[in-house]
Amino acid sequence: MNAQTTPQAPKVTKETKNSIRVEFDRTSKWERFKIKYLSLNFLGMAIFKIFRFLLLLGISYVILYPFFSKISSSFMGRDDFVDVTVKLIPKYPTLDTYKEIIAENGYLEALLNTTLLSLFCGLVQTFICCMIGYGFAKYKFKGRNILFALVIFTMVVPHDTLQLSMFMKFRYFDILGIFNLLGGGLIESFKLIKFTSLNLNNSYWPLALLSISGLAFKNGLYIFMMRQFFRGVPDELEESAYLDGYGPYRTFIKIILPLSVPMMVTIFLFAFSWQWTDSFYTTVFFTQEGMLLMPDIVKIPKTLDTNYAGQNLYTAAIRNTCGLMIVAPLIVVYLFGQKYLIQGIERSGIVG
Amino acid sequence: MNNATAAKQAAPKKMRKTASLEKKKARAGWIFVLPFVLGFVILYLPIVFDSIKYSFNEINIQTGGGYVLEYVGLKNYQEAIFVDASFVRTLTSGIKQLIFDIPAIVIFSLFMAVLLNQKMLGRAAFRAIFFVPVILATGLVAEIDAGNQLLDYMSSSESIATGSEQQDNSVAEIITATDLSFLFNNMAVGTELVEYVAGAVNNIYNIINRSGVQMLIFLAGLQSISPAIYESCSIDGATTWETFWKITFPMISPMILVNAIYTVIDSFTSSSNSVMSYISTVYDQAGGNVIASAMSWIYFIIVIAIIGIVAAVLSAYVFYQRRD
Repeated sequence: MNAQTTPQAPKVTKETKNSIRVEFDRTSKWERFKIKYLSLNFLGMAIFKIFRFLLLLGISYVILYPFFSKISSSFMGRDDFVDVTVKLIPKYPTLDTYKEIIAENGYLEALLNTTLLSLFCGLVQTFICCMIGYGFAKYKFKGRNILFALVIFTMVVPHDTLQLSMFMKFRYFDILGIFNLLGGGLIESFKLIKFTSLNLNNSYWPLALLSISGLAFKNGLYIFMMRQFFRGVPDELEESAYLDGYGPYRTFIKIILPLSVPMMVTIFLFAFSWQWTDSFYTTVFFTQEGMLLMPDIVKIPKTLDTNYAGQNLYTAAIRNTCGLMIVAPLIVVYLFGQKYLIQGIERSGIVG
Repeated sequence: MNNATAAKQAAPKKMRKTASLEKKKARAGWIFVLPFVLGFVILYLPIVFDSIKYSFNEINIQTGGGYVLEYVGLKNYQEAIFVDASFVRTLTSGIKQLIFDIPAIVIFSLFMAVLLNQKMLGRAAFRAIFFVPVILATGLVAEIDAGNQLLDYMSSSESIATGSEQQDNSVAEIITATDLSFLFNNMAVGTELVEYVAGAVNNIYNIINRSGVQMLIFLAGLQSISPAIYESCSIDGATTWETFWKITFPMISPMILVNAIYTVIDSFTSSSNSVMSYISTVYDQAGGNVIASAMSWIYFIIVIAIIGIVAAVLSAYVFYQRRD
């Protein structure tokens, strides 16, 4: 309420340097209360708010319930699964499932390998997609639209379609036939190197190569998001950098990259966690025993005797525990990163 | 960089300078997208071509390394469509299911985004929870969930104890609505309703799980609508309902198009859908079965057709605010 609105000049009761207290005719508290709270409008709003809250709460429950039940079942002993009265709280709590998965399935080794792989892929993909997205957003060059259509194309082709040929490509890896040529595959006498193709499977190479070229899992989406983000960045920023004598690359490194950190964290979060839980590329490229990765630990440890009445449930519980242990590090990452996830997306203003 | 000498060389040079800046920028653009171009030409294109090639061939991997291709024409395709009994069935039922899911996902995510965009108690917490599935319920976890008996048991222990009433419909269910059906049973409403609600809840879990990214995209879109428009609307006396349909909906319609297409792509290419998992079982059967390639190209063509239809239908209704 402003003192100016009252018809008479207000009576000043107290005045200090910073604040002023004025006396004016005000409707009584009860009247104000009635108008504010005892109206249909307020009732409607209140009902809506309660309904909204309950709805969100319910959906949150639906999302979180499987996690709770998985967590509870991971602590259950063998006997809990044949006991009908046990639902969420185990009667014979035990840590055996965890212990055996760590001891027998090589969880720690898989954790280490996957952390290295996901960190590498996440960082590389974030940077590369940022670069490509920037190129698409800010520079006009011939063939830009066609190239962008190709990015969308890589998104649309289901990767299962390429499963076999992707395996073959990296099993007999060759860059445009150069190795074949140098290795004497075309002409017998012309032989500079000993091999005609490289077997890159069962190493980090296939994923590294795909990441470096922005073709790995869902990279089309990242490029798209980055491009939309950079379209919202005003051109004046770069122009002022050019005026100061920066070239395009230094502008990118010094001005654009620091600016796009929230978006990059978002992309990194996606890239890291989707690489982490990915089972497609890891099973295609890592065919033999040797490199333990997350998909390999989803199996039943031999020391846990599952051959009894509750077998189905018990094995399911063990598999779920594997799943839980796989995502456990991700939960930590998510807790730290989720703030950026939403901020980054909001600032990106993905429009049109 | 421009030192004194450049400054002394006067007007005629100026034109050339600006032109070279354009060229320089075009070149810089190429360099920024170079990784993708190289990767696409060297890796992706051969992979795609190989995949198409394999689908027309018989493949034999030799023990010494290397492989032999034998051209067999359309045999793989014929086999996929006419010989393999379950492929066409899986394909039709899978596509039907997805077509049913896609509007549900888009509508749900729009609805949730509108809710999560409002100011309220615990908004940050709700947002954090809603995006949990984006990060956690993908890939491996989704695969583990897909064949999950435990959760079904957890939520439908009655049916196991009393017989097998519900078991047939609980194969793909991740959460069944025990508590819900328990509640409804106590309220003594008809069993159809109970089943319907339980089914809806089941489906909603799937839908929630798959609508995280869409929700994010919608949220971003909602954030980009100028508050001034809403303000002027409320001054003109529009209700929230009217504002939604007259302002929010048209303004967000480009996002609806983006999300519809994204949803189609995402759900058609996710390895948890039935067609994809069928194709990968075929692939695993014979260790690199080429019929799997043929199948997935058939599937891909159908996906492209559906994306085309969705894009064509939706873009007729999309409203673009004039920019620039």
